[in-house]
Amino acid sequence: MTPNAASASSGPSRRSFLASTAVATAAVAGGMPLLAACGGGQEGNQDGTTSGKAAEKILPTFVASSVIVPDLPSKNGSSAGFTKAIDLNSLKTAVPKKLGSGSSLKIMAPMWGSPPSNDNPYYTAMNEAAGVKVTWQNQDGNTYDEKLGAVLASSDIPDVVVVPGWNLNGKIPSAVNAKFADLGPYLSGDKVKAYPNLAAVPTDAWQRGIFGGQLRGIPMPASYVPNIVPFYRKDIFDAKGYELPASPDEFLAWAKEATNAKGKVWACDDLKWSAFNIYGVLNGSDKALWWDLRDGKLVNRIETDEYLEALEWMRKLYAADVVHPDAKAVKGDASNRFTAGQSLVFNGDISYWYSTTAEQNIQKSDFEIGAFDIFGPDGGDPTIYATQPAGIFTFVSKKASKQQIKDFLALANYCASPYGTKEYMLTVYGVEGTDYTLKDGMPTKTTKGNNEVFGAYDYTGDPASYLAHPDLPEIAKAQVEWQQRMGAFTKKSSFYGLTITEPNRYTNLANDFEQLEDDVVRGRKKISDVQQAVSDWKAKGGDGLRDWYKKLLDDNGSAAN
Amino acid sequence: MSHSTVPRSRAEAKKTDEKTGKKASASGGAAGPQGKRAGKLSLRLRFRRDRTLILMTLPAVALLLVFNYIPIFGNVVAFQDYDPYLSDNGFVAMFESPWIGLENFERIFQDSAFWHAVQNTFVLFTLQLVLFFPIPILLALVINSVIRPRVRAVAQAIMYLPHFFSWVLVVTVFQQIFGGAGIIAQTLRQHGYDGFDLMTDPGIFKFLVTAEGVWKDAGWGIIVFLAALSAVSNDLYEAAAMDGAGRWRRMWHITLPALRPVIALLLVLRVGDALTVGFEQLLLQRDSVGPGASEVLDTYVWWNGIRNQDFSYAAAAGLVKGVVGLALVLTANKVAHLMGEQGVYKK
Repeated sequence: MTPNAASASSGPSRRSFLASTAVATAAVAGGMPLLAACGGGQEGNQDGTTSGKAAEKILPTFVASSVIVPDLPSKNGSSAGFTKAIDLNSLKTAVPKKLGSGSSLKIMAPMWGSPPSNDNPYYTAMNEAAGVKVTWQNQDGNTYDEKLGAVLASSDIPDVVVVPGWNLNGKIPSAVNAKFADLGPYLSGDKVKAYPNLAAVPTDAWQRGIFGGQLRGIPMPASYVPNIVPFYRKDIFDAKGYELPASPDEFLAWAKEATNAKGKVWACDDLKWSAFNIYGVLNGSDKALWWDLRDGKLVNRIETDEYLEALEWMRKLYAADVVHPDAKAVKGDASNRFTAGQSLVFNGDISYWYSTTAEQNIQKSDFEIGAFDIFGPDGGDPTIYATQPAGIFTFVSKKASKQQIKDFLALANYCASPYGTKEYMLTVYGVEGTDYTLKDGMPTKTTKGNNEVFGAYDYTGDPASYLAHPDLPEIAKAQVEWQQRMGAFTKKSSFYGLTITEPNRYTNLANDFEQLEDDVVRGRKKISDVQQAVSDWKAKGGDGLRDWYKKLLDDNGSAAN
Repeated sequence: MSHSTVPRSRAEAKKTDEKTGKKASASGGAAGPQGKRAGKLSLRLRFRRDRTLILMTLPAVALLLVFNYIPIFGNVVAFQDYDPYLSDNGFVAMFESPWIGLENFERIFQDSAFWHAVQNTFVLFTLQLVLFFPIPILLALVINSVIRPRVRAVAQAIMYLPHFFSWVLVVTVFQQIFGGAGIIAQTLRQHGYDGFDLMTDPGIFKFLVTAEGVWKDAGWGIIVFLAALSAVSNDLYEAAAMDGAGRWRRMWHITLPALRPVIALLLVLRVGDALTVGFEQLLLQRDSVGPGASEVLDTYVWWNGIRNQDFSYAAAAGLVKGVVGLALVLTANKVAHLMGEQGVYKK
C-alpha cells in the first residue's frame, strides 16, 4: 500500500524496542519523557528502514521558525533555552487562521496523573482555538503498553493514538504499519508548508516518524544528548563540604564516606543508566542504537567490554552498601528518597531538574539540585552515545476521514507553536485567569491549572526541542548548558536517527538483558552470567540479526553524520 | 411411574434434594450420591422443581460462560503463529494466522526459563501447603474455643481485615517493616547492630511470599472451618464431657472429625490449583529478587504474552499449565475417594 518508492527500494520501517520499564520510570519521575525509542514496521512481512534518497521523497521540507529567538540557542545537539518571560501583550501569533473545521477526534494517549474531565475550560479553549472536537481517552502511562496491544488488536481504534517509542515492543511496530494512516500526502515535501509550525520541526525528528516506508508519525522532537542526568543534592554537598567526585573510583570512595545508614542516608540510588554513560556504553534507549560499526564489523552494546565494566562498577556500589536499600528492592519512588535527603545522588530525566526545584522551593528555600558532568572511566572526558532525536509519536487511524486527518494536523500545528506565541501560552499554561495568573509578570498556574493543564496536548505536535523556564531562569540555563557540555562528547552510533523494524523472529531476542543487568548489579548473578547470556544470544539469532543490520547499513547507509 | 408412586418419590426427591443441596453447596455444585435416584424424574419435572435454584445460579453460569468457557476457544492460538494485527480485529486474525502445529510447545519445553518457573511454582506450592494450609484450621479452633461473643467478633474482624488489603499495600507494609531501610533494620542500626534486609534475598524469598500470604489470607481462610464447626452439635461435647473426655480428647474425637470432610475438600481444591501460587504478589516483587527466585508459571505467561507480545507462546504455556492442573485435580480427587472422603465430585 505504499505508493512511494520507499517501500519498494528498501524494506521500510524500523524496529523498535525497548527502553523498557527503566526508561518509562525515568519518564515518570521526570514528568515528561524526552526519551527516545522507536518502532515501526511494516506492513506485510517487510522490515527494515527508510533512509537516504527514499526518505527524502517522503520527508517534509524544513522551514525554520523565526517567531522568537531563543536566549540560549541550540548547540551540540542541546535543546534551545528560553529564560525570559514574554509580556502577554507582545505575544506573537503562530497560527493566524484557524485551520480546523471542527471534526470530532477520539485521541488515546498515555497520562502520568489523573485525567481531568473532558469538558474543562482548558480543553474547551484548545479545541475552539485549533478547530477540533477532541474526546480524550487517557490511559495510565505506566501500563500503557499493556493497553496498547489490546486496543490495536480491536476493530475500534481511536482516531488518533499516541505511542511512546519505548512501548514499541513485540508486534506493536507491525501494528503501527497495519493500522495507521500515511500522512505523506498531507506533509511530504512542500505540502507541510500549509502547517508552518510542523514545517519547523527538525528533519531528523521527522525521519524518525517514517514507519513502514511511510510518514505515519508526528514526532515529539528531543535533544539527542542523553536525557538521563546524574543529579546530586547541592545543598547537602555544600553543607557537608563534599568535593564533587570526578571519576568512578573517586565516586565509590566518596560514597563510602557519605553513607550513614544509621542516620538513614545513603550516598546514591540506582545509577545504572549513568554508569552506562560514564563507561561509554552504546545507548540503550532504542534497539537500533545498540549496534555500532567498529573496524568494519557491527558490534552490539552487550558484547562490549564497556558494558561489562559499567555493570561491574554499579555492582561494586551495591556491594559496598552505599545504595539506598529501597533501590535494591526496586520499591518506592527514587525521587522522593532524593528530596527527603535519604539518597544524595540519583539519576533521572533532565526535566526533573526544573519540576522538583519548583516544587521544593515552595517548602524549603535552601533545596538545591546540582548535576554531575558525566566523567569518563578514568576521570577524563567521557564518550557518550546519542539517544534518538524523537521518542514519542502520534498516529492517525487508517479509518479516519480525510477531513479528520486534516483537522488533526491543524491541532498538531497549533500545539507545535513555539515559545513566545499566544498559542504556546494557551497550550502550555491554559486559560488566563482560570488556569494561570500573572505574578510579577510571570505566568503562574493555579490549582485548577495544575490539575488540568498537563499531559494531554503535550504529544499532539511539538516544536523543536526546547527548555523554557522563565520562572527559574538559572535552571533553564543550567539544563541547556549541561546538554551543551555533554553534547560535545556525544557521538552518534551507526543507526542513529533511523526508525528500524526488526524481523519478527528477532524482536524478543534481547528482552531479558535488562532484567539480567539488574540481577548482576544487585549481586544476584555474576558478570560471567552476562557473558554466557551473550553467547546464548549470538547462537539464538544475535549473529543473524547482526548480518541483517549489516545488510541494512550497506543498503541504506547511515543517517548519522 | 405409577400415579400413586409419584407423590412419594417426589417427596422423597425433595428430601434428597435437601441433602444434595447441602452437599452441593459444600462441594461446588456436583451431584451427590442420590443423584441417580433423582434422575428417575423426567428432565422437565426436575427443571420445574428446581427452577428457583436454577434461576439463582444463572448469573454465575453466565459469568462462567463469558469469562471461562468462551475464552477456552482462544487456546487455538497456541497452535498458531498468531498475529492479532493481521486483520481488522484480533478475533478475525485468529482465522488468518498460520498454523504451526506443536512448534510453540517444542520451544517451551526447550526453554530452561520455563522449567525454572515450573520448579519455583512447585517449591512455592509445597511451602504454602505445609506452612500456610494448617494455619486457618488452627486459628478456627482457637476462635471456636473463645466463648465470649464480643471478644470473638473483635478477634475475627482483626483476622479478616488484611484480606481486604491489596497486594501493593501488603508488599509495601512488609517493605517498610522488613526492608533494608525498614523499621526493624533502622532500629537495629540505632542500637549498634548491622541492619538486615529480608526483602531482597532470593534465598528466603519463598518464605517471605508464604509469610505475606499467611498474614493477608489466613484469617479469611478460617470462615469455612468455622462454618463447619458451628454445625457440630453441643450435645456431643456435653456427652463426651460427661463421659470424662478432656479438652484434647474432645478436640481429637469430635472437632477434628467434624472438620475432616472440609479439610479434604479444600486440600483437593488446593492441589488442583497447585500451579497457581500467586501472580500479582510475585509480579510486584519481581524486581526485588529477580526472576530467578520469583518467576512462576503465571508470571512466565505474563512476561511472554503481555510484555513480549508473544501471544501464541504464552497461550501454549498457559495450556500446559491447564492440562497439568486438570491432571492434579483428578488425582487429588481420586486420593480423597480412596481415603473415604467425598472430594470435589463423585461419579
